[in-house]
Amino acid sequence: MNLVLRLAWRNLWRQPRRTWLTTGAMVFSNTLLVFMISLQFGMYGLMINNTLQAYTGHLQIQAPGYIDDQKMRQTVADILPLAERLRAEFPEQSIAARATGFALVSSADRSYGVAVVGVEPGYESRVSTLPGLVSSGRFLEDNDAAEIVIGAALARILRVDVGDELTLLGSGKDGSFAAAVVIIAGIFDSGLPDFDRSFTEIPLGLFDDVFYMNGSGHHVVINNGGISGVADLKTRVEATVPPGEELVVHDWDALQPGLQQTIKADISSAFFMYGILVILVAFSVLNTQLMSVLERTHEFGIVMSLGLTPGRLGRLVLLETAIMGFMGLVLGAILGGLVTWWLSFNGFAYPGMEEMASRFNLPARFYPEVTLISLLSGPVVVFLFTLLAALYPALRLHKLHPVEAMRAV
Amino acid sequence: MTAVRCVDLCKTYRQGEEDIKALDHVSIEIEEGGFVCLSAPSGGGKTTLLNAIGGLDKPDSGEVYVAERRIDNLSKGELAELRLRQIGFVFQAFNLIPVLTARENVEFVMQVQGVPAAERGQKALEILEEVGLKGLEDRRPADMSGGQQQRVAVARAIVSRPALVLADEPTANLDSKTSDGLMELFRELNDHHSTTFVIATHDKRVMSYAKRIVRMLDGRIVEDISQDAV
Amino acid sequence: MHMLAVLSRLAWRNLWRNHRRTLIMLLAIILGTWAMIFMTALMRGMVSQMVADGISSLPGHVQVHHPDFRDDPSVANLINVPDSEIAERFNAANFRQWASRVRVPAVITSEYDSRGVTLVGVDPALEDGLTFVDYREVEGRFLESADDKGVVIGRKLADILNTEVGKRIVLMSQDPDNEIADRGFRVVGLFTASVKAFEEQFVFAGKTTTQNMLRIGDQVSEIAVLGDDYRDVEAEFQKTLELINDGVTVQRWTEVDRFLGTMLGVMDGFVLVWIVVIFLALSFGLVNTLVMAVFERVREIGLMLALGMRPKDILGQIILESLLLLAIGLALGSALAWATVQPIRDGIDLSMVSEGMEMMGVSSVLVPELLLSDVVLANVVVLILGFFASLSPAWRAAQYEPIEAITKV
Repeated sequence: MNLVLRLAWRNLWRQPRRTWLTTGAMVFSNTLLVFMISLQFGMYGLMINNTLQAYTGHLQIQAPGYIDDQKMRQTVADILPLAERLRAEFPEQSIAARATGFALVSSADRSYGVAVVGVEPGYESRVSTLPGLVSSGRFLEDNDAAEIVIGAALARILRVDVGDELTLLGSGKDGSFAAAVVIIAGIFDSGLPDFDRSFTEIPLGLFDDVFYMNGSGHHVVINNGGISGVADLKTRVEATVPPGEELVVHDWDALQPGLQQTIKADISSAFFMYGILVILVAFSVLNTQLMSVLERTHEFGIVMSLGLTPGRLGRLVLLETAIMGFMGLVLGAILGGLVTWWLSFNGFAYPGMEEMASRFNLPARFYPEVTLISLLSGPVVVFLFTLLAALYPALRLHKLHPVEAMRAV
Repeated sequence: MTAVRCVDLCKTYRQGEEDIKALDHVSIEIEEGGFVCLSAPSGGGKTTLLNAIGGLDKPDSGEVYVAERRIDNLSKGELAELRLRQIGFVFQAFNLIPVLTARENVEFVMQVQGVPAAERGQKALEILEEVGLKGLEDRRPADMSGGQQQRVAVARAIVSRPALVLADEPTANLDSKTSDGLMELFRELNDHHSTTFVIATHDKRVMSYAKRIVRMLDGRIVEDISQDAV
Repeated sequence: MHMLAVLSRLAWRNLWRNHRRTLIMLLAIILGTWAMIFMTALMRGMVSQMVADGISSLPGHVQVHHPDFRDDPSVANLINVPDSEIAERFNAANFRQWASRVRVPAVITSEYDSRGVTLVGVDPALEDGLTFVDYREVEGRFLESADDKGVVIGRKLADILNTEVGKRIVLMSQDPDNEIADRGFRVVGLFTASVKAFEEQFVFAGKTTTQNMLRIGDQVSEIAVLGDDYRDVEAEFQKTLELINDGVTVQRWTEVDRFLGTMLGVMDGFVLVWIVVIFLALSFGLVNTLVMAVFERVREIGLMLALGMRPKDILGQIILESLLLLAIGLALGSALAWATVQPIRDGIDLSMVSEGMEMMGVSSVLVPELLLSDVVLANVVVLILGFFASLSPAWRAAQYEPIEAITKV
């Protein structure tokens, strides 16, 4: 250890209680920050993935205006050939075409208004988690079969089961009366009663017939697997399918604006809280370092009269702070990392989380992950603010006059 | 009645590697209304004896009686009560509470005792005038000279007319004129109120006021003479 | 009492002895208190609005349904007591407001498109102020009576359906015998709602008209009772139970929407956690300040002990000093929080993240809600915790031996 470092280190331990208390404030905030940031960003990732993988996908090709109104008439013409072309162009992506409508589904006993989505049976399972949720029967197989998949809650209401017949009544693309009789191929259970009650899927070929689509559909969905690289993919897709009067490409942020904004709103409130924590720690450091400088006025006067410049003394004070800050950073990151690591096995939950979580497509128990970013971002910011707080006491040294300082007790 | 009685007091301090016998089998009896000077070179044990009498320090062995009540086995709280009600202190240095003014310092003990505000305010003003600090009542210790501070401490020690006043080098920072004034004041209290004074000092002038001089050396009493006041 | 006076004066004077340190600590406490209360006011505002919007979509603080209505909110699950009888019972009960309605899923069809909606058959005289629709903000007019022949739909739905006031639409649902029940209506009004999703979901028609269309005679699906304070609806709940309890489910709104119900509890928990976290961040600095203060004053503490103050008075003095510091900080921080809430008490426009807010069930204007109880909670919690945090340094001060302390240089 060089001399200055050793001096700084010894100075810190002249008041061990004070040093530990100040370091303690940093460790406390850092631990909390590591834990909160891991939890928060882990949740965002999960929220985005769960929401997008469920149905929306990362990109959709739609008719202009469909995103706002979702009118039946705002269609993409010749949607199957388009999907095929995209699949040929982007073999690494999961791509499927869909059409959406509304209908009254009726069993022998009951009727219910639902959303009906026409999907490509062979490809839908690659862009949506819904086929995997089929708990009885099977998902759709044949693109033209008169089959339907419905939710468990709807099946209860309609008092039907796999193999039973349902009647669909709605209006077609041109506004004319649309009707069909379909057999229930499968029943899915998503755990969300509202969704299970109001969402059904039929093969795209059947949808085309029933709703008089003439080969058109409403969107082609592309599942990128994750949100990284979506912007790049969007540019490439737009190169293949030039946006214009007929078609536009929307990314997930446009498709699910609520998602990004929920996250933004949450981030801003979380950052407000983090900011307060960091500033409070900075105050604590400011207080400690100011006291430590004031206490040493006499001593500083002596070394200054020996020829040490205020600048060097200031650097000494900053170095002391940096050592303290570094201890806080390391201990806080370790402690926060341990807490998060423990939770990554045991899960994190709080009362009421189940109800909140299901609203945002999250599991009721959450397993945060320790990442380098979550481990270091909070503590590093605290460290920087710590140094910033020590600037004032360090700069005060410039106002010190050796003779007066030596007279101080 | 005896004001103070010490029986076979022993007290040893450890200073570095050495054991220092501050009190070595000290026995002394002081009558009510006594005016005693403890005189010894530094480290002779006079401050230790004074502290033992005031209940500030516990002897290793021996017994201390104040007003015929044994005090060396009292609890902290009982000792505090004793000091508050019966003993006035003047210390060698650092006598005053820095955040309080001269008058508030004098009132402090009375206030803790629960003396009504009007009464203690009046008494404080009177006693400050008596010790020659008229006009300085509202100064804080930092704004007073050492002598002035010491006089405030004396005023505080005697203001509530304690039966026993213990003073450790009360004139250390005073000029001769002020010292004389202070000692006159002590004697007056001693004469009129039979307040017992025990003063540790090596100031000859102070000793000249004493009715009895006890000399100590290395923790032992080596001489104990009564004399007539000047 | 006189001792308290002595101690208070000492504590107060000592506080300002090292005014720099005290001011820094005070700033930290003010900032912390402000953050506690301001943040809580914002979160409270958000949750209240979420709950208020949520309740207005239910709406009603206490609700009565057929036991199966929750799983199957349709014409199959009507309340077994005739509406006329319900009216008789509930009118006699002196509720602040109550209403009975028919609520069924339906499909609305214009000449252009169709959508699944919730058809609500209401008696406009009973619903004014109970539903989220402000009658006076309706374009066109709201329904005029229970047998009004028109419908009022949301503006957003009107856009989607390409319809407007004066045009005709068809509502299609089913009757109890599972026959299609449909009827043409003229759109008489378009409502707007703070939560845009409501404009797509709800369609209002006259109660009697709806009953006739569904062929359900004098039956309804829902009774809603409004209490004075949504936080406490126990009285209304009990009263409703006395009026009707056979073959129906009576629920508080917290049970109707568990997400909203738990939100309030979660919020209370959050407020407390937030206050405690801020306090802990502050506590290091507080204890540090006290430790320093005691350390600097060893000699005078010794003096006071020598003069006959008891150790517990010293303890009291240090704690008093700490509480005084906290109390000033709390008072100023609370005042600052109040002052910063004033300019935004009419609400902050959050339209930047409006869809995200909507995903959480909140409209885009956030009105902070500064509750006296939260301010009191923050102050009391900080004072109590502050008391405990000061115990250790104060205890150390009280343990000094007067003679050692006084001779310490």
